[in-house]
Amino acid sequence: MNKNKLKSTGILKGTEFSLVIIIVVIFMAASFGTQNFFTEYNLMNILKQCSIIGVISVSATFIIITGGIDLSCGAVCGMSTLIVAMGQAKWGMSVPASIGAALLVSVLCGIYNAFIIHEFKVPPFIATLGSMTILRGLIKVISNASTIAGLNKKFGEFASESVMKIPKLAVIWVIVVVIAFFLLRYTTFGRNLYVLGSGQEVARLSGVSIRKVTYMTYGVAGFLCGIAGIMLAARINSSVPTAGSGYEMNAIAASVIGGASLSGAKGSVWGTALGTVLMTLIDNAGIQFGINSFVMEISTGVLITIAVIVDQLKNRKTR
Amino acid sequence: MTEDIVLKIDSISKSYPGVKALQNISLSIKKGEVRALLGENGAGKSTLIKCIMGVEKADSGTVSICVDGEWKVPQSVGESKAYGMHANYQNVNIARELSIAENYFLGRIPVTRAGIVDWKLMNRESKKIIDKFEMNVNPQDKISELPIAMQEMVTISKISVNDTIRLVIFDEPTALLENEKVEILYRYIRELKERGVSIIYISHRLEELMEICDTVTILKDGQYVDTKNICDVDKDMLVSMMVGREVGDLYNIEHAEIGERLLEVQDLAAEGMFKNVSFQLNAGEILGFAGLVGAGRSEVMRAIFGVERLDFGKVFIRGKEVKIKNAQDAIKNGIGFLTEDRRVDGLALPLSVKINTNMYSYDSISKAGFINIKKEKERAEEYRAKIGVKTPGIEQCVENLSGGNQQKVVIAKLLCRDPDILIFDEPTVGVDVGAKQEIYKIIEMLAKQGKGIILISSYLPEVMGLSDRMVIMSEGKISGVLDKDEISMTTEEDILRMASSIA
Repeated sequence: MNKNKLKSTGILKGTEFSLVIIIVVIFMAASFGTQNFFTEYNLMNILKQCSIIGVISVSATFIIITGGIDLSCGAVCGMSTLIVAMGQAKWGMSVPASIGAALLVSVLCGIYNAFIIHEFKVPPFIATLGSMTILRGLIKVISNASTIAGLNKKFGEFASESVMKIPKLAVIWVIVVVIAFFLLRYTTFGRNLYVLGSGQEVARLSGVSIRKVTYMTYGVAGFLCGIAGIMLAARINSSVPTAGSGYEMNAIAASVIGGASLSGAKGSVWGTALGTVLMTLIDNAGIQFGINSFVMEISTGVLITIAVIVDQLKNRKTR
Repeated sequence: MTEDIVLKIDSISKSYPGVKALQNISLSIKKGEVRALLGENGAGKSTLIKCIMGVEKADSGTVSICVDGEWKVPQSVGESKAYGMHANYQNVNIARELSIAENYFLGRIPVTRAGIVDWKLMNRESKKIIDKFEMNVNPQDKISELPIAMQEMVTISKISVNDTIRLVIFDEPTALLENEKVEILYRYIRELKERGVSIIYISHRLEELMEICDTVTILKDGQYVDTKNICDVDKDMLVSMMVGREVGDLYNIEHAEIGERLLEVQDLAAEGMFKNVSFQLNAGEILGFAGLVGAGRSEVMRAIFGVERLDFGKVFIRGKEVKIKNAQDAIKNGIGFLTEDRRVDGLALPLSVKINTNMYSYDSISKAGFINIKKEKERAEEYRAKIGVKTPGIEQCVENLSGGNQQKVVIAKLLCRDPDILIFDEPTVGVDVGAKQEIYKIIEMLAKQGKGIILISSYLPEVMGLSDRMVIMSEGKISGVLDKDEISMTTEEDILRMASSIA
């Protein structure tokens, strides 16, 4: 009984607990095994790397919980990066205005996804594959497929600043994770994500407005990708046409490693945050150990597969 | 004597984490015997047939089947099938996106000499089966487009496709069937019996077992209780063996006083589904809806609830006309709907009892979108106790509960909202006798509280036994209305006649 309680209401569920252990083990091994891992510079770097993908992963988790999938999140992030950069460098916008514009465009991208998915009953995979491709094309058209530099100086410096030794980018990530946690746990919106993920029919007959939840979820997801894009613009102090490419796969991977199920109704932001940390850590530690980066890629793939297999085995046991 | 035996089950045991599903079960079944397997939900019936078929591996014990005088012990589902063992499982188990013909020939699609699929042969052979089972459908019809009763008929008729049939297991085949189809099933079972095929038949409907079975084996809590000849037992005996206690007349509930008019519908119509449907429901009243599956009863209720098309007609609640466009409107207007298939649209299976209980009514325990977590928990606990849901805790996934307890969670979900009008669409499908009686008690309690209750049931003794008034529907139209006295003077046959519009 007690154990049950811990499992379901505790912050650390089974999956998350094992993730923490794996993270600690890798962290220790890299700290003692290499020269350059446990340095302020490197640790800061890991945190910064985590932050951007971490924010996108939260958006991916929201959508995966509803039983959907979002392949466009990397492209939305890239679009947001572009708008911020163009706004500041080409269109003469102030920093807040460029951020506002980027967020607005990102939310609209999310709402567009919801529109296609809900109104035309297009499967999320296809709908977001379409919007990803459209956005990638649009980015190249708008930027002429070139790098946009010349951003506001203060804006670029933000990415290298810290509060109490913690990079500001990581602070944003933590805030996003905490807010997302509250949304999922304490609001009707959060509950409805899980209900929708259990099945459209049960949601509909329980009086959940599927339209409202779908628009809100993809809208919020777009907003989060927009934030990530702004963080990315600050970090590279420019916009490149390929900004955010491949992030969607990392985000989905982080969610799945963190315990989200692609069949819906399962997933938590803590798990996703830990999944993000683990993936970044493996990458970084691998470099420190001097392992071939191609081999590291293989190990990430293996990790994703194992995460899902473990989940399946657990499900089989409870049946 | 022993040479007649076809199937031998020798001390089978099976455990799941925390549950001993089967303990040392031994039985044997003779050639051409129709054996009923009886027990409450969770007694181990489903596990036993899974072990017999090789779908689940037993922890210990063996299953052997006599194939032309030789004893074989099948090691896999494939081998079981090759030895002529077939099963019709409880949760309709077919390829929903394929046609009827493809489902019949699944895994052994015939090809022409050129190596392409022989559709002609498939359709011709399928048509024969369809005609034999009087299904009135086309071999090319897609399963997902058929009504659920017809899907069930397809899975039943699918058994006859096999060349060798020595044993057939039916797990609740009639749960979703109307009476006329049940007759067709019985005919098929008798035909199999005459051919010397043995049958294991699982059903919660005791009247059925009495009619079709030769012998009955009772299981309780994973243990063997007894095997009897069906002619030596009566219903009361079976029930008491099954539950280990005496159950009085199941349908004997106290009826409440009839109060004010809660719901009135006038001339409801939806093209191709129903028309001219008018009825009233009063406080404290149990209004039964009988009819064949496909008569449009569920569709009418779904339309009233705002989740199915309604082309025409008016709905009045407490005398005021309301326009219900979706489930939110219906819920706000005080209607609660227990749907026909709880696994599809009644419950969020992967979520907890707590969330499922509160699912209908989060708006009433939240402010500005924020849920009162304490109230959420309290309410889940309160209704768990009130309805008597048996679960290790409110955080348990409803997926892991038995059918009866799942249904109680659905009821808890509705009551949490305190609706005035409750629509129960087949509330006792797939639940055991004990839970059935508990559900009837809940209905009794609700009527006493002055709620109006609409009860759809394809099971005539149930709907006739519980209703204050009965509406009989046939082919989308109301073909009869009976009040309490009339019900007691009417026989099941009369109602069937009205339902099939022969009268």
